Amino acid sequence: MSLLTVDRVTSGYGDMEVLHDVSIEIAAQEIVTIIGPNGAGKSTLMKTIFGLLKPTAGKIRFIDHEITSHSPDQIVRLGMAYVPQVENVFPSLTVRENLEMGAFIRTDDFGDRIKEIFALFPILQKREKQRVGKMSGGERQMVAMGRALMLNPQLILLDEPSAALAPNLAQVIFERIVAVNETGVAILIVEQNAKESLGLSDRGYVLAGGCNRFSDTGENLLANEEIGQLYLGG
Amino acid sequence: MTTLARIPQLLVYGIISGSILSLGGIGVSLTYSILGFSNFAHGDFMALGAYIALGLFTLFTGLGIPNTRFGPLSFGFGFTVAFILAIALTAIAVILIDRLLFRRLRRSGPIILMMSSIGVALGLRNILQFFWSPQPHYYTQMIQRAVSLPALGIRIKPDEVFIIATAIVLVVLVHSFMRYTKMGKAMRAVADNATLAQVTGINTDRVIIWTWVIAAGLAATAGILSGIENKFITPELGWQMLLSIFAGVVLGGIGNPYGAILGGMVIGISEEVSTAFISTGYKPAVAFVIMIIMLLVKPTGLLGRKN
Amino acid sequence: MEHFVGIINYIIFFAVTAGTYGILALGLNIQWGNTGLFNIGIAGFYALGAYTSALISGLPPSAWEGRTFGGFQLPFIFGLLGAAIVCGVVALLIGMPTLRLRADYLAIATIGIAETIRLVLNNESWLTNGVWGFQQIPSPLYKTIHGASSAYLHSHPNLPIWIHDLIAKSYDWFYLALVLVVLFILYLIMERLVHSPWGRVIRAIREDEDATAMLGKNTFSFKIQALILGAMIMGIGGSMYAHYARFISPISFKPLYGTFIIWVMLILGGSGNNKGAILGSFVVWGIWAGTDFLTKYLPFSATQSASLRVILIAVSLEVILLWRPQGLLPPKKQLFTLK
Repeated sequence: MSLLTVDRVTSGYGDMEVLHDVSIEIAAQEIVTIIGPNGAGKSTLMKTIFGLLKPTAGKIRFIDHEITSHSPDQIVRLGMAYVPQVENVFPSLTVRENLEMGAFIRTDDFGDRIKEIFALFPILQKREKQRVGKMSGGERQMVAMGRALMLNPQLILLDEPSAALAPNLAQVIFERIVAVNETGVAILIVEQNAKESLGLSDRGYVLAGGCNRFSDTGENLLANEEIGQLYLGG
Repeated sequence: MTTLARIPQLLVYGIISGSILSLGGIGVSLTYSILGFSNFAHGDFMALGAYIALGLFTLFTGLGIPNTRFGPLSFGFGFTVAFILAIALTAIAVILIDRLLFRRLRRSGPIILMMSSIGVALGLRNILQFFWSPQPHYYTQMIQRAVSLPALGIRIKPDEVFIIATAIVLVVLVHSFMRYTKMGKAMRAVADNATLAQVTGINTDRVIIWTWVIAAGLAATAGILSGIENKFITPELGWQMLLSIFAGVVLGGIGNPYGAILGGMVIGISEEVSTAFISTGYKPAVAFVIMIIMLLVKPTGLLGRKN
Repeated sequence: MEHFVGIINYIIFFAVTAGTYGILALGLNIQWGNTGLFNIGIAGFYALGAYTSALISGLPPSAWEGRTFGGFQLPFIFGLLGAAIVCGVVALLIGMPTLRLRADYLAIATIGIAETIRLVLNNESWLTNGVWGFQQIPSPLYKTIHGASSAYLHSHPNLPIWIHDLIAKSYDWFYLALVLVVLFILYLIMERLVHSPWGRVIRAIREDEDATAMLGKNTFSFKIQALILGAMIMGIGGSMYAHYARFISPISFKPLYGTFIIWVMLILGGSGNNKGAILGSFVVWGIWAGTDFLTKYLPFSATQSASLRVILIAVSLEVILLWRPQGLLPPKKQLFTLK
């Protein structure tokens, strides 16, 4: 049973069509990566799934709901979370306050949840009272992910989580992504750093020119020479 | 009196004026950072509050609600109730204006919103003028005696102490609200990044309402306090202060409420102290000159942007 | 018949004022409609133009006035040109520090400048006669025309009353023609400019300043030119007003009449469209004058009626912003192309 189904979606900005007839699927607890060259429409796809853009054709289903024309605050309540590529934290708020904002719609006591997030990202506990704007890129990325996890989502969308990070920091982020997945959350990743990401993914899609090109298991895509040359930099 | 000897007293006037300008400026800063535009109707929100208080007070007096003065202050229970109710009613009026007008124009961008706010400013002012005429209306006819503090070389009235104390209390309250409450944090989050706030699930509509409640409440307070200070109000009181308020906000750093406080005090004090050296007729020009200098030297203001 | 003449007289007055506002709106159209400069300080240039023209063409101060300077009694054309030049220079001085600012800062700065100009006009009595106003501003060719029409009436004493009254107003007819001619000339010049390469650049700046800059255009230079040109036109408008009203004081240029109403005129008529600027002036002034008549039948005091009319104008602005922000005549559609 699919958690998220994107069914032949066409979407874009104003008159400019970026995605044409794109379909993808994610099952519960899967890690799925979408790779492709710049301008392929990967970020556009994420924004469309999360309701920041309205598709002009196609359908999107999440769990049992049709969310094609839902707005982000409706989708957030259904159990999906989104971490944008840039400007994904509140810089003038502290780490703790960012997490609290993640839990805004919760009416219960979420102290335990914060503890769980700190268990996943110990560095955040150390920096609990620090203003996020002053933190490093890697730490900010962890705050962003922690924030997204506050509502116990079933699916998280990560837009280029390792972009602008040094390789060793990117490594740390990817490890944390696996850890998060192990707590039962499905993860959809859009990545430029395709090798790393495919390595930890169950499945992957290749998007180019706004269309589906390939899809296979993460392993197979990595092993595929043609894809390696075209999209993984050889 | 030598020019130098007048300065302490002018400083006192400056602190009183600055307190009122600060309260107005916090609202302008919050509106700017959370709602994304400079609200030119803010001065007239102040006037609205002042007149609603006047209207309620007149009503209460007519109903026989007692107003025996609290100690040395110029007002009592009746006026205080009118004061508090006026704050609430002004907030409600402003939220209505937002629902009817600003909300529908949000997608048109900040310039259209600013233009709309100028229309609201003129409309409000003339509604007040329609009902109360442009003539000054008095809160009190009492002539209050100032207390002399020769050690500091100043005289100050009990009402003026009340004004400064009220401003301090309100600043502390707003600070605590923004720092420690969930809604306060949500407001700061929206000011940082409104789209991310939406993505996070923050109820931006409620944040906007709270922003108006605080901005309008502070504006109403500032308007009433200026009425207490001057003893009378006119429909133009807000517009006359608007340039100085904006100067303070720009000086402190637009979008930063703490900057608004600092900027308001600096402008208030500068304006008053300037009268020792130049004609009182040019007081508003002082605020303007300071603002222009700030914009040329450091446009982000003394305290810079929040992030 | 007397009614008829009264109406004609009113129409002349109406048209002169609307025409003057049309000139001001053309100036704003260059600044805002085409270049996107948010100038809320129109009243400053309006007043500056009026006072400059008065000082250049006006009479020397009489004994009871506070003024000690000026009144050079130069011909009207010098007053007109002087107004334009002074406004242009002041616009240059103001523009240098402020045009690099964002729209809302520019707006606040222009309010401040207009306010400072107003304060100077109020306080520097030696120059302007302060709050008591500048009196006895001469109207161009008044002696000639009024003299001629009076002589004519004198030598034709048996005319029907209504013809007599119409000829008595000859000077006003002349001034109306003058205003309309000036308005028309300015309109033609603005149309040429707006359709020229210069016009394309400033409209591109309004649409997307950064992109225009990236194409290699010195956007600051163009913005200053637009500011100066618009200010000069506003100065001309001020001059035309001063020589018709013959008396000006700082109150004549209050923000309501000197700035706000012109904004409403341009927005209603259509920002970015010169015809719209003129159309808007006549329509809004028509509403303003029309409501003046109507409120006479309402049981309110004079100030109350004035307030009602302002509220009506404010509401009109909001209605336009909500439902037809492009105004009656939309701007020329310009796709972002700059060769």
